[in-house]
Amino acid sequence: MSYYFTILSPTDVPLFNIAFGTSKSGGDGIARFRFPDTAQYMNQFIIHSSLDIVEEAQWMNGNMYLKHIDTYPPASAYISAFLTPSGARFLLLHQPPQLPNTGSATGAGGGGGSSGSILGGSFSASALGSSRASASSIAANPTSPQTEEAVRQFMTEVYENYVKTVMSPFYRQGMEIRSAVFRSRVTAAGRKWL
Amino acid sequence: MVVYSFYIFDRHAECIYKRRWLPRPASITGGKSSRPTSEASAPATSTPALLGQSARTTDDDAKLIFGTVFSLRNMVRKLGGEDDNFVTYKTSQYKLHYYETPTNIKFVMLTDIKSPSMRIALQQIYINLYVEYVVKNPLSPVEHPGGVGVNNELFEESLEQFVTRVLS
Amino acid sequence: MSSTTKASRIGEELWKTRVDKVNAELVTLTYGTIVAQLCQDYDGNYPEVNKQLEKMGYNIGMRLIEDFLAKSNVGRCANFRETADMIAKVGFRIFLNIAPTVTNWTSDNNQFSLVFDENPLADFVELPDDGRAQDELWFSNILCGVLRGALEMVQMQVEAHFVSDVLRGDDTTEMRVSLIRYIEDEMPPEEE
Repeated sequence: MSYYFTILSPTDVPLFNIAFGTSKSGGDGIARFRFPDTAQYMNQFIIHSSLDIVEEAQWMNGNMYLKHIDTYPPASAYISAFLTPSGARFLLLHQPPQLPNTGSATGAGGGGGSSGSILGGSFSASALGSSRASASSIAANPTSPQTEEAVRQFMTEVYENYVKTVMSPFYRQGMEIRSAVFRSRVTAAGRKWL
Repeated sequence: MVVYSFYIFDRHAECIYKRRWLPRPASITGGKSSRPTSEASAPATSTPALLGQSARTTDDDAKLIFGTVFSLRNMVRKLGGEDDNFVTYKTSQYKLHYYETPTNIKFVMLTDIKSPSMRIALQQIYINLYVEYVVKNPLSPVEHPGGVGVNNELFEESLEQFVTRVLS
Repeated sequence: MSSTTKASRIGEELWKTRVDKVNAELVTLTYGTIVAQLCQDYDGNYPEVNKQLEKMGYNIGMRLIEDFLAKSNVGRCANFRETADMIAKVGFRIFLNIAPTVTNWTSDNNQFSLVFDENPLADFVELPDDGRAQDELWFSNILCGVLRGALEMVQMQVEAHFVSDVLRGDDTTEMRVSLIRYIEDEMPPEEE
C-alpha cells in the first residue's frame, strides 16, 4: 500500500504533502505508486479532484472524519478525508499494491526524497515487493472497517500535531507548513497506524 | 485615633505621595498649645525640633520626615544588624509609624500618640492599595518622579476609605 | 540545602493559595505573538529583538517584584545563594508554575545558572527556519530582563543571559545570572 497525504487550506492552497508507504505487514515505508516516476502529479490530480465530493460530504453530518469518500478506479486510488473545524482539509490517497499478475511495474529507484518541496516527500521508485502485503492486512482492503479505523487514528494524530504546529507564533495562517518536526511526526503517525 | 498625615518615599529618596487629613496650621509658632487629640486644636507638625521657625511648606515637611526616618533606620541597622528596622517613635505631640519594603519604598504615617502600632496597617496599604492600584496599573510609569502615577483616583479613594473607615 | 527546600515549600504554598491562575495557552500564544511581531517589526534583526525583549522584561520585573513581595511577604535574602533559591523556587513557581534548577555556582558565589526543564513561554514554538534565528534569537529573552528589573529593585545589579535553548536544538535551556554589585541606598539630592 502506498499513501499520499496532503493538507489543503480552506481556500484550496496545498499546505503540506507527503508520500509514504505502508509499514505494516513487513512494509518498508517507501511509497510505490502505480504511476511512473514522471507522473507523480497524478496523485495530486486525483486528490484534488475529490474536493467536490468532500464539499458535498462535509454537510452530511457533523463528523470531522469523513471516511472513504472517493475512488478513482483506473488507478485504484482511494481517498479518505478529514476536516478540521477551521476548514482545512486532510486528504489521504491510498493505493493498494499492484497485483503480481498485472505487475508491469519497472524502473529503477532513482529520484529519491525531495522532502521540503511542496510537491511532497519521498517519491521512491515503484518496483519489487508489490506482492508483499497479504490479503487480510489493512493494506489490501482500502474500504474495510479496519482500514477506516486505522485511517481515523492516523488523521486524529496528525490533527493533534497540526494544531501544535499552527500554534507556533512564527506560523501564519495559510502558510505552507515547512516544519521538519511536523513532517517527522506525520511520518511517525503513518508508520504507527498505516 | 487620629491620622494626621501619610507619606510614601521611593527608592530614589523622593516623596512620591503625601496626604494630610487635618489642615495644616498657617503658622506653627504657637503650636505648643494643647494636645492635638481634639479636633479643634491644630495638629502638631512633624518635627518638633524645628518648632518656632517660620511656616514651612509641605514639601519641606516631607524632606524633614525623610531625613528623620532615613537616619533613624541607618542608625538602627548599625546597632541591631542589617535586618533590624525601626517601627515607630513617639514624641509628646505625635507618633510616627514606619514601614519599609525590601524594594526600599518607605511608608510613613503620623498619628496621635494614643494610636496602636500601625505597622500592619502600613503593610496593608502597601499590599492592598499600592501594589494593586499603582504598581499593577499598566498605564502608570514604573518609577514615579514627582508622584506621577501614584495620585490616581483608585489609590487615593481607597486610601481615604482605609484611613477613615478601617483606622478610626 | 535547607534554604532550597524552604523556598520550595513557600513557593508551593503561595501557588496554591495566593495565585490567580490563567490558561497556559493564553500566555504562550500572547508571548509568542509578541516575539513574532517584534521579529517582523525589526525585519529579522534578531539581536535587536533580543534587546527589546530584555527591555520589556526589565519593565515587567520592576513591577513584578512588588507583587512578588506583597504575595510572599518574605524579607531580604541573607546572601546571593538564598536569592537564587528564591528566584527559582518561589518566583518562577508563582508566576510560571515552573521551578528551574539552580546550578553551576562559581566559587565566589556570584554567578549561577538556571536550568529550565520546561518553559511555558516556548510551548509549540518552532523558530523560523531562515538560517539565522537558530543562532541569533533568544526566544525567551524576556525572562532575563524580568530578573534584572526585579533584582535591581531589591538592590542587586545583575546581568542575565541565555547560554542555551532547546528551541535552538540544544540539550538544555540554561540562563546564566551574575551578580555585579549591591546597590547602595540613594541619598536625597543636596539642598541648595
